[in-house]
Amino acid sequence: MNKIAKLFVTFISAITLALVSFSSSFAKVEGEYIVLGSAISLTGKYSSNGVHTQNGYNMAVERINKMGGVEVQGKKYKFEIIYYDDESNPKRAAQLAERLIKQDGVHYMLGPYSSGLTKAIAPVTEKYKIPMVEANGASRSLFTKGYKYLFAVLSPANQYLEVAIDLAVEKNGGKGVKIAQAFEQDAFSQDVRLGILDAAKRTGSEIIIDDKLPKELNDMAATLAKVKATKPDVLVVSGHTKGALTAIRQISEMKVDVPMLAMTHCDAAKLSKQHGKKSEFALCASQWHKNLSYKDKFFGSGKKYAKDFQKEFGYDPPYQSAESSAALLVFKDAFERANSFDRDAVRDALVDTEMQTFYGNIKFGPGGQNVAKPMILFQVRCKGDDCENRVVAPTKWASDKFYHPIPKWSERS
Amino acid sequence: MNKLKQKDLILYSGLIILGLAAPYLFSAFKVQLTYLCVLIVLAMTWNLQGGEMGYNTFGNILFYGLGMYLTASVQVGMFFPLAEWTESGGEKTFVHTTSQYFQGIGVGLLVSAIIPAIVAGAIGYAILGLRGHYFAICTLGLGIAAGEIAGGIEIIGAGQGFTTPPFPAEIVDTEARGKFFYFLSFALLIGTFVFVKYIYGSRFKLILNAIRDNEDKAEAMGIQTMKYKITGWMCSAFFCGLAGGIMGGLIGYIDSTDVAFDGREMGVFMVLMAILGGKGTLWGPVIGATLFHFFKEGLWTLILGWQYVALGVLIVVIVIYFPEGLMGWLREKYPERFGEVIDEKDRKAQVELK
Repeated sequence: MNKIAKLFVTFISAITLALVSFSSSFAKVEGEYIVLGSAISLTGKYSSNGVHTQNGYNMAVERINKMGGVEVQGKKYKFEIIYYDDESNPKRAAQLAERLIKQDGVHYMLGPYSSGLTKAIAPVTEKYKIPMVEANGASRSLFTKGYKYLFAVLSPANQYLEVAIDLAVEKNGGKGVKIAQAFEQDAFSQDVRLGILDAAKRTGSEIIIDDKLPKELNDMAATLAKVKATKPDVLVVSGHTKGALTAIRQISEMKVDVPMLAMTHCDAAKLSKQHGKKSEFALCASQWHKNLSYKDKFFGSGKKYAKDFQKEFGYDPPYQSAESSAALLVFKDAFERANSFDRDAVRDALVDTEMQTFYGNIKFGPGGQNVAKPMILFQVRCKGDDCENRVVAPTKWASDKFYHPIPKWSERS
Repeated sequence: MNKLKQKDLILYSGLIILGLAAPYLFSAFKVQLTYLCVLIVLAMTWNLQGGEMGYNTFGNILFYGLGMYLTASVQVGMFFPLAEWTESGGEKTFVHTTSQYFQGIGVGLLVSAIIPAIVAGAIGYAILGLRGHYFAICTLGLGIAAGEIAGGIEIIGAGQGFTTPPFPAEIVDTEARGKFFYFLSFALLIGTFVFVKYIYGSRFKLILNAIRDNEDKAEAMGIQTMKYKITGWMCSAFFCGLAGGIMGGLIGYIDSTDVAFDGREMGVFMVLMAILGGKGTLWGPVIGATLFHFFKEGLWTLILGWQYVALGVLIVVIVIYFPEGLMGWLREKYPERFGEVIDEKDRKAQVELK
């Protein structure tokens, strides 16, 4: 036993040494770099959107650095981001946030992907008073916790599809509609659901199917079978990228006829590319679309951003990337207005943010959510085999008319 | 014998001092150290089933998750309406005062130890009759089912997740929260270790071993195996529940499948750690968990995107080269250090016999 004891003691001391030797940490501002931290989903169920987010961040960092960086007290600084992979797991995300702040000495955070992970990180950043600008946590419950250091450049989740219900009611001559809905079991989708419940109550609509979908979403045939039987006026589905892909795949396989199909995450799922004509007429909620007329001096217009992004990463930017890029612009603006690296000064500057970016206007409400930007709806439309997302609402930005109702599968070629 | 005891004493007091000093020495690593304590507890309690009793369970995550939800629910429910707390988009905010917070977590932890133990008793009564793979598969289902069920219960937040009460704002020290959870988990670790060590010196452990080695014979010897199997599982559930309760408070956000009933990660890790260290030994799970945690924290981020591949390789390496774990490997290499005496003559005689 004593030999084991010795062994164990040696082992412990080795670890102690190792720990002490790598305790030396980064500083918040190192030389000419402002170090930001982000835990992001590079693996796991949110990995595709995690990568969209990371690409958005990287694109903005590169652009801002190239165009002169951030000027604080007369000196130019560049952005640098430390990334960790949170494996799409809230537990891991919270731990990594702690690590970024305590070990890597990060003083400013960028958000992770998804509401659930943002919910896990927010208590940590709040505890250490670290300003976090996040671009991908839309759940309304994030903004009712009284967080003071959380800023979101996007509109809250309950607003995503409310407009779609209004649209359906309008097409129904102002009378309530029958709604079928299926939502993934996660913070974001459940919030979208609450938005629909509110809209249903407001418009006197009736919810006839209200299903929950599992997190590893690969099958929703049971819901669709019910839809076929009950013939609702609107089918609402939300479950991140996988939800959108699964819905379209199975709706086309099962030839489910429904006059209106409203979803989230169509552009992140590259629906119009992956499923082509099968996805036609799907109505999608989006935070951003490249055809909107917002502008800024870094990326120019949305169209220019989309072109540059396409050149850099080889695909059309989904709104997840655009809003992530916008988060960096917000940080830059706040640093320059604060003209200081003091966390509270930066935080106060963030509170006063009022700016236009290529992604939209940004102004934070009391809970930290962006109140200056409306949600938009687009519809997938095809010409031949070439499918595209066209903005149909709100009318100010609409490039196309909303096509309603969706023709039956038997009539589609 | 006496001298040996003294050595042990030095070792234990050394470790305890190190444990108490750790949050001050490595202030930035408090959260990781807390995780380490919890991981060791999970590995040690898994070892009671998987190592000593020979029942490979994937179900211990059930008690961990249960403990997590129970602690948080009690902590909130004692002072505020739970349904309003978890309702998403609710406009009301509830804030725990300092004394409410600690009272809540105290009572919550108590509940999170007792109820999982009772649940373990009930489930054990139903399924501990299964053996081998059948038991393993059955327990695998338990964790998954629990996650799905919890994801549908509105009062604990369902798919929205459950934000646990934030640490009282009246305590200004930003380090206080980290210290509190560290010492809580360290106390749990000591409690678990003392308990397991006590079991190792008892008849109970021999009975568990007898069940592992040949359950039918044990039964024939007059041991009521079912009774002992259930008791063993209840002991594990007790500590797993506590570990879960602490983790819930530390993480601050409970998600049904990713944080609480996290069979894919925690559930697998606890098995892996025990096997890495050497199942069926007292120190094996401790060493296994420590090594695993350092491997994970140290290398994980260096190999972004490949970490699960690395984990897979690690599992393969362990299974091929250290099937008995590190402790088992050491024991084979240096049997005399483990107090095993090999009679050379006897060994030669056996070789000749073959």
